Amino acid sequence: MSEAAYPVRPQRRSEIGEGGIIQWLLVTVAVVFLTSVLLLPLAVVFGEGLRKGWETFFAAFTEPDTLAAVRLTLLVAAIAVPFNIVFGLAASWAISKFEFVGKNLLLTLIDLPFSVSPVISGLVFVLLFGAQGWLGPWLEAHDLKIIFAVPGIVLATVFVTFPFVARELIPLMQAQGTSEEEAALTLGASGWHTFRHVTLPNVKWALLYGVLLCNARAMGEFGAVSVVSGHIRGLTNTMPLQIEILYNEYNFTAAFAVATLLAALALLTLVLKSLLEWRFAGELAATKRH
Amino acid sequence: MTLSLLRRHLLSAAAAAAFIAGAGIAPALADKTLLNVSYDPTREFYKEFNSAFAADWAGKHNGEVVTVNQSHGGSGKQARAVVDGLDADVVTLALAGDIDQIAKATKKLPEDWAKRLPHNSAPYTSTIVFIVRKGNPKGIKDWGDLVKDDVQVITPNPKTSGGARWNYLAAWAYAAKQPGGDEDKTREFIADLYRNVPVLDTGARGSTTTFAQREVGDVLISWENEAFLVQQEFGSDKFDIVVPSLSILAEPPVAVVDANAKAKGNEEVAKAYLDFLYSPAGQRLAAKHFFRPTDPSAADPADLARFPKLELVSIDKDFGGWAAAQKKHFADGGIFDQIYKPTN
Amino acid sequence: MSVSVSIRNIVKEFQRFPALSGVSLEVKPGELVALLGPSGSGKTTLLRTVAGLEFQDEGEVFFDNINADGLSLRERRIGFVFQHYALFRHMTVFDNIAFGLRARPRATRPGADDIRSHVYDLLSLVQLMGLEKRYPAQLSGGQRQRVALARALAIEPRVLLLDEPFGALDAKVRKDLRKWLRQLHDKTRHTTLFVTHDQDEAFELADRIAILNNGVIEQVGTPAEILSRPGTDFVADFVADVGLSTLKATPLTWQRDVKLKAAQ
Repeated sequence: MSEAAYPVRPQRRSEIGEGGIIQWLLVTVAVVFLTSVLLLPLAVVFGEGLRKGWETFFAAFTEPDTLAAVRLTLLVAAIAVPFNIVFGLAASWAISKFEFVGKNLLLTLIDLPFSVSPVISGLVFVLLFGAQGWLGPWLEAHDLKIIFAVPGIVLATVFVTFPFVARELIPLMQAQGTSEEEAALTLGASGWHTFRHVTLPNVKWALLYGVLLCNARAMGEFGAVSVVSGHIRGLTNTMPLQIEILYNEYNFTAAFAVATLLAALALLTLVLKSLLEWRFAGELAATKRH
Repeated sequence: MTLSLLRRHLLSAAAAAAFIAGAGIAPALADKTLLNVSYDPTREFYKEFNSAFAADWAGKHNGEVVTVNQSHGGSGKQARAVVDGLDADVVTLALAGDIDQIAKATKKLPEDWAKRLPHNSAPYTSTIVFIVRKGNPKGIKDWGDLVKDDVQVITPNPKTSGGARWNYLAAWAYAAKQPGGDEDKTREFIADLYRNVPVLDTGARGSTTTFAQREVGDVLISWENEAFLVQQEFGSDKFDIVVPSLSILAEPPVAVVDANAKAKGNEEVAKAYLDFLYSPAGQRLAAKHFFRPTDPSAADPADLARFPKLELVSIDKDFGGWAAAQKKHFADGGIFDQIYKPTN
Repeated sequence: MSVSVSIRNIVKEFQRFPALSGVSLEVKPGELVALLGPSGSGKTTLLRTVAGLEFQDEGEVFFDNINADGLSLRERRIGFVFQHYALFRHMTVFDNIAFGLRARPRATRPGADDIRSHVYDLLSLVQLMGLEKRYPAQLSGGQRQRVALARALAIEPRVLLLDEPFGALDAKVRKDLRKWLRQLHDKTRHTTLFVTHDQDEAFELADRIAILNNGVIEQVGTPAEILSRPGTDFVADFVADVGLSTLKATPLTWQRDVKLKAAQ
């Protein structure tokens, strides 16, 4: 066979020759894909939202139900995000700096919301706290409302956004190891002082990134929230749910106006992240280098 | 940004959010707040009806303000939510079977709830018609045309949508009345029909947007009121309504969920709310929003003229009531489960 | 200020695998002792046990006559220098060195001015004046190691523990730093234990050497004792590669005198 006669070199050369084409192809595919899957829909959202002019666009936000949805979304994010910061920090600290029984179980649990469909996550809460659920009768007896009320929405959001902070921090903390913490402890620092002055500053960028992602998801979550919301207008509809309602009521301009706001919040998140990365590029590199 | 700065920002953001949220809750604290859990196509009707009711109530009760909160979705899904604890004062659903489910599972209202108001607790009725694209390019005239190979039919999932069950039963009634329409032939007809359904939405409104906005399918099996609404929203130059030779008398029922209303001290206002549906004002509004009033005397004759005359079968006479129909057709392992296979 | 360290019959297992099987060692005040052995011999584990970063299953560690078991990490006052420096990467050299002082409870924490002058003293001791505003990433390996040492010295430690202090440096820098460390020790006289797998390093630096293998100490003695009378076959084999010619040509004591004079 000729292949055996020219074992390596000709093949290599042809690979390099194709390299240009392959590279070009890959870039084209990536650009086409990004444009059609990411940019176009975004453009459509903004286009549809503004189709009937700025006046109609802003009019959408004078509707009390829509305003209530914006408020509820902000409230839910304001509760869910700090909770997940605390939890994410605690969990990733424990996981990356200590050995303990059940560590793998904890890791799996943190990943659970990533692997479970959000709708199922919502249903789990209905099964737990719903009137027919395990805790339902007890909650009803004490007049506590969780499902189809704000607490349920917060719970579902917390659950769905559970992994974002922890998942950002764990690999970094593991890569950084424990020696800086050990150094701090031998130098006489307390656990809290060590955490506050050594661990936290070392992960602040990853933390911020995790928080931004967590926040974006908290504001945008649909599936899990939809299951536990009850869809009561002006009370338990978040922005994504309100968008669905407006869309279903043939109020397309308003639906896209609210969608535009949601998309703008997501874009703002991205811009903020890039800005911070750019502004603190030097420090960021210093933190990552060993 | 230093960490303390970051923390300060987070705190102020949280405080701002809490403040906004607090401000948002305040106006909702009206004198009385009622929750009406309803099905999909009633949105526009109850929007107008709720303000009419609030005005009526305020007039009779020294200006007491009633705020009616609305929740809409597929009828079966909404019933499930009430069973799971959504604390509806009143339910206004697509079919009696769904309210039966609530009564059975929660005991929050008696099982004979339907006897408490006239006409089996259905203040308005409706029926099932077809919507086709302008000019009816596929020449759809009756149920028999829906099983043709080249016709795509849009209808929601009977498991979650009340309207979808009416659709299904209307088709069944038609097939059963055809010459030689025995049980086997009828099942075959229904199976053929659902083979033509490319997507099953969970609610009637979902199917409507699939058909009208996303322009999927040749014919939408729809509530009559929804069909009129589509023409109104999208313009009559885009869609035609086709009235089949036979359809079903759909009786969307209403009921007070006693235990919930009692817990919130809303018994009186909830009952008044449903009574107002039967009042001349309520009946007139129902007709305006394309529901057939049970007492047409107060309705605008122009509104009434829009409703076509057609042969209507009834759930009680032709299917032995909702409980029997539900068990035979829609329960787990029922006929729908046997004949429906999702198309890929 | 120098204390003795008494290690008594330390046993330590990692998941049923014995790391230390009954190790005892007496370190005199002001002495510089090397823990020498191949990797996996348990030398780092022993050092970390003395520091309080690991807990022994059996046995005790005494500083003078104080049982270290009753002391927290802070109370042990150990100056520990890690193999890869473990400098706080987001802090300047100054802040690194000042860390131990600032971490003290409010009651015993020195004032800002005291901390400042103390840090500058240490900077001049480790010859890093002028670099106090740099970040660790902006320093060479040798400079980082000296920062780590200054940071450890800042808390006025009872004992200095060095884990492979020159392990991550290239040969030239290692040699220079070795000499410099010996001079520093002669100046400060901290009781010092350091871990190394490098025979030359141990023999050139230490007053005495403890040779570990498989979790036990094979022999303890001065470099001359070990070289002239290896206690076991393992020791004989392990020290066979030591650059004898260099050592014989410049005996340690003589070498040290020269350095001391140079330092003065």
